[in-house]
Amino acid sequence: MSDMTEPATITRPLISSKRHKSMRKNSRRIYSPYQDENGPSDDEDKDGERVDSNDPEEMFQNIQLQKEIIANIRTKPWPIRRKLKVLKQAREIVLKFEGRLTRTRGYQAAGADLLKKISRVLYNIVVLFIPWEMRIKKIESHFGSGVASYFIFLRWLFGINIVLTILTGAFIVLPELLAGASFGTIRSKTIPKEHLSSAQDLDTIWSLGGYLQYSVLFYGYYGNVRKIGSAGYRLPLAYFLVGMAVFAYSFITLLRKMAKNSRMSLAGASDENFTFCWRVFCAWDYLIGNPEAAESKGAAIINSIREAIVEEQEKKKDTSLAVLISLRILANILVLLSLAGSIYIIYFVVDRSQKLEQEKPELTLWEKNEVSVVVSLITMIAPSAFELVAQLEMYHPRTSLRFQLARVLVLYLGNLYSLIIALLDKVNSMSSAIPAAPGNVSSTSYLATISQPTEDNMSTIVPDITERQNSTLTMTLLDFNNSVSTIKSTASYGQAMRMQSLLNQTVVYEYTTRSQQDPCWETYVGQEMLKLSIIDMIFTVASILLIDFIRGLVVRYLSDCCCWDLESKFPEYGEFKIAENVLHLIYNQGMIWMGAFFSPCLPAFNVLKLISLMYLRSWAVLTCNVPHQQVFRASRSNNFYLAMLLFMLFLCMLPTIFAIVRYRPSQYCGPFSGQEKIYDIISETFANDFPLWFSKVMSYVTSPVVVLPALLLLFMLIYYLQSIARSLKVTNSQLRLQLQTERTDDKKKVFQLAAARLQAPEGADKKTEQESDITSMESSARSTSPTRPNGSVVNFESPVRHGNSIRTITQSASRADVSRAAGVAWSPSAPVRQKHKAEHVPNRHSGYLGGSGSSCRSKSYHHMAYNPSARYAEHIHSDPLFRKTHRPMHKEPGVIMAQSYAGHRAHTTRYVIVNEHEARKKMRSTVRLPRHYRLADEPAEIVELYPRNVKRYIPRTPHRSHQPHLSEEEEEEEDPKSSTKKGSIRQSQRPRSLSDLHQTARFYIGDTVDSQVSMEQGLYGDEEDDDQDEDWANDSSNLCSQTNIPESTHRYVEPHVKSKSKQKVEPSLTESDSASLASSSDQQNSSTDQYIQIIHNKEKYLKPGTKPTKKKSKNSVKLNVSASNDLVYSNV
Amino acid sequence: MGNKQVTFKEEQLEEYQDCTFFTRKEILRLHRRFRELAPNLIPLDYTNSPDITLPPCLITSMPELKENPFRQRIVETFSEDGKGNLSFNDFMDMFSILSEMVPLELKMIYAFKIYDFNKDGFLCEKDVEETVARLTGKELRLEERRLVAQRIMEEADLDGDGKLSLLDFKNMIWKAPDFISLFHIRI
Repeated sequence: MSDMTEPATITRPLISSKRHKSMRKNSRRIYSPYQDENGPSDDEDKDGERVDSNDPEEMFQNIQLQKEIIANIRTKPWPIRRKLKVLKQAREIVLKFEGRLTRTRGYQAAGADLLKKISRVLYNIVVLFIPWEMRIKKIESHFGSGVASYFIFLRWLFGINIVLTILTGAFIVLPELLAGASFGTIRSKTIPKEHLSSAQDLDTIWSLGGYLQYSVLFYGYYGNVRKIGSAGYRLPLAYFLVGMAVFAYSFITLLRKMAKNSRMSLAGASDENFTFCWRVFCAWDYLIGNPEAAESKGAAIINSIREAIVEEQEKKKDTSLAVLISLRILANILVLLSLAGSIYIIYFVVDRSQKLEQEKPELTLWEKNEVSVVVSLITMIAPSAFELVAQLEMYHPRTSLRFQLARVLVLYLGNLYSLIIALLDKVNSMSSAIPAAPGNVSSTSYLATISQPTEDNMSTIVPDITERQNSTLTMTLLDFNNSVSTIKSTASYGQAMRMQSLLNQTVVYEYTTRSQQDPCWETYVGQEMLKLSIIDMIFTVASILLIDFIRGLVVRYLSDCCCWDLESKFPEYGEFKIAENVLHLIYNQGMIWMGAFFSPCLPAFNVLKLISLMYLRSWAVLTCNVPHQQVFRASRSNNFYLAMLLFMLFLCMLPTIFAIVRYRPSQYCGPFSGQEKIYDIISETFANDFPLWFSKVMSYVTSPVVVLPALLLLFMLIYYLQSIARSLKVTNSQLRLQLQTERTDDKKKVFQLAAARLQAPEGADKKTEQESDITSMESSARSTSPTRPNGSVVNFESPVRHGNSIRTITQSASRADVSRAAGVAWSPSAPVRQKHKAEHVPNRHSGYLGGSGSSCRSKSYHHMAYNPSARYAEHIHSDPLFRKTHRPMHKEPGVIMAQSYAGHRAHTTRYVIVNEHEARKKMRSTVRLPRHYRLADEPAEIVELYPRNVKRYIPRTPHRSHQPHLSEEEEEEEDPKSSTKKGSIRQSQRPRSLSDLHQTARFYIGDTVDSQVSMEQGLYGDEEDDDQDEDWANDSSNLCSQTNIPESTHRYVEPHVKSKSKQKVEPSLTESDSASLASSSDQQNSSTDQYIQIIHNKEKYLKPGTKPTKKKSKNSVKLNVSASNDLVYSNV
Repeated sequence: MGNKQVTFKEEQLEEYQDCTFFTRKEILRLHRRFRELAPNLIPLDYTNSPDITLPPCLITSMPELKENPFRQRIVETFSEDGKGNLSFNDFMDMFSILSEMVPLELKMIYAFKIYDFNKDGFLCEKDVEETVARLTGKELRLEERRLVAQRIMEEADLDGDGKLSLLDFKNMIWKAPDFISLFHIRI
């Protein structure tokens, strides 16, 4: 706190340099014990020895500590030079002492090191394989994070699809290709003869018929043999499981990603309003590196700020509410109409195509593709229409964006759903047609086993059969079917020509047989989905080329020869519409999920699609798009996208599941042919391939006896978790409330303080008398104190000293009054105060001895003063090791001093000290860091590493965040101790700062008195409760006074505190010190005044009394410190 | 570039990876970028970690920073002398802090520093006005800027001292939905 005495305008560099130093010092301290310079006389040296004493536990802990430092160094807000230095030092220590550990430890450490190295290498490698990193970065720099979020989302989807592809490829497609029956061997894998001629036509292939239809692309190709290959791969089972795994995997990744995202976005339930702050401090997108984007971003920021200003100035009323409402109603009606229309069109188209297929043998290209084309057209056009409609509504841009998204999502869903429903409808009619065909069932087995080789034989038999049919017409339906099929197969031979009459008869059955032979509704659905996906891709490409590229070209090159400015007026450049594009991706993914079961290669196709989309889009964005005008918040939308995707996944899963559960698999194709239901494969597997007991167990497990309780349990669990979440939310809001009240309390205090100041004259009068006489005593004390070389405890008897101490006490008391003016009745009688203090001091020990009379009486800050000691005592009590090692009884005074001056300070600072003190203790007890640094020559350089340690070792203190203070505070704390211990010898070596020594000295007197009190451990325990309460109080007070600053932030606060405190203190201060006056100019309020004041105190008192040589040092603090040291010694 | 001539020693790379959020590839790329700024000043060989600094005008000419209204402050914040002269270490530190992996906590600290124009450890109204001015160019009038600054103080100044401490700032940023995604620069 050495900079405390400097003017409030202290500059950061200065502070930071100080921190820097202290840090270095700290690091030195950490390894200093290992430099052999320990003197047995010194407590810290003993500490050091202890560490040196090869106690593997300690050493191990130390090394762990260092490793922690190494691991976390990158998260420190230090300049990199410092980081590197600390890192090097920490490494050295680790290196040096790791060898000393036991062998196993060494191995462990080496193993951990190796692991770390490997993981780093792996990470480096993984990063190498993240695709499109540079591309996305480039886009990001041009367009900001919004547009980039689209591409990141795309990449993420790409990752998912890769996994899905691997799943299906490895477990279904490959086995089928390798071990399944090869093409043409089975009927379901054979192109019917009648289609053979056209199988290679372009339009057949285009509509995914012909060879494509009978390939691994679709469900129908997969065989239903239970085990294939020599290894007995259960393809049908695998098919089913993979189909489910696709959904399961998608769900899990999606949910995990969402959880991660929501963990990252801490905004959560914040209803606090930081409109302006966010619009200013979180406005600029640091990614932007392109002038155009910067310009538009700037414009957006200006707009948003203006908007906020306007909104702030007047919550403006709607001018024409009626018109607006009617417009909005109209808009919604329009949207609904277009939604309904699009759904109807899709349904109609599917229906029509179905009919066409039945009526006409030859379909035109348009007729074959009209379903997908229509769907894609709708998905392209409707969003723009919605956008037009949305302009009618005149919503706030963000609201309208949300509306737009919702509508588009509904549209996409409607499209997909109407399509799938129409398809399933068709499937329905197909499967109902099959049973209508007589003889279907009986012929099944026969037909299914027909294979190509036998067909030749059959065709030779055919003539006979057909002749018989001709004559008799009494054949069984089975024969009929047979004949039909053979007729077909032999049609090319012309034999069938002779049987015209038969054909005429069989024409009736033509349709039936065709659907029988080619009834694969699964394949059909798969085909449709794949077709849809392909057409969608074509349309996307076309729209990118036409709408973006051509438009860009036109605008770019024709704007000169046009009568209006093309670039800014009508066509403009295309904007990249993030929201719509993301929705399109989601829609696309939905199609994949919907079709993946029926067309195992769909994910693979989607991978290709996404890759090409990535390149095309990024190219288009960079060449012919301008950044979006609207600010679309990237991170918030992230989870929004994912939520939509999840929604989509769920809705897309439904039809598939429905189809699987509801419909009968096709009889003649696919892995489940011949089964009643697709999921029968599971029960079948259980029945056949698992031991009997297993199927028994399964039957139990799946029986309602188990399932129902399990369901109940799940519900209970959900309920429980939900209630926990709710209670957490409540706690959250309560905490916030608390924070707010603290804040208002603080403000209230400030006001009261101001009021008190008005009254101050009266109070001051009383004080002045009191203080004046004290000052005289003090002056004498001052004169003597520096020369007093020794630290013997008994010394406090000297009247001078006594007076001194009393003076300070009173002073502090009065000050406390001022600061406390708000809460405490202004009790100005100085003598009383004094007394109170005096009594309070002895009490300190008694306080933790159990009777905390003074603590009850005195306000919270008094309590705080006790705290540390109580804590300390507690530590001692609980941790024998610690007691033994480093805090012999006679040192107690030192500790108490620390506490006592803590008591003088404002809440915040005081608190910090307390904390730290205790923290430190704990740390010592556990880590046993050497404390040599005190002797080190660079005094200011302690601490920064400390916070971390402390943090780690004191999980229970809520105040960790205060640690930054450590450097100074610690020293403060140490100083008295060491000085008392070491006496004058050390004094010259330690010009270390610290301020409050003066006070400590004062209190010391009381303490020394108390030091005689034996420390009864049991009694300390009593204090614990109190302690806890105080903790809480401290906490809150911290909150309000803003001191719970996480590490490193501390330095900002300090000046702050300083400035605030100064002026407040002023009124109460009767003694006028030049320094204090200087600093007291501004009238601000806070609860932290005492802190500064103390410093002033010190300064005041110390300056006059101390050595002239030290005065020369620029830093007045130092001077104070040394002075204070002296004081302490003398006191002691 | 590391093929023929060694730019960093292995241990240097390790250290850098410990101290920053970069992978070795990124560190090498950063070095390349750094070198591109002044090819004849910056040696390819950094094994003895020469202490060469580049002036702020060079650094801010990077496309990543060029358009940033706070580029000057960014560079100053990360420079050791506070004037914006960056050594390679500082340069790397800067982009490390601004990279994606950095915890919010750290980012907030540096954002605070960046917005603290007069470097007094607080965001006072002047700082905020300056921030707004840089963001909006000349679009907003002085009164408007002042109004914004006042509003911001009202909103975020918890202790009522008329300026934002780091704590106030953190409290505010903590709740901002997208700060973490906006306050980073990819390189």
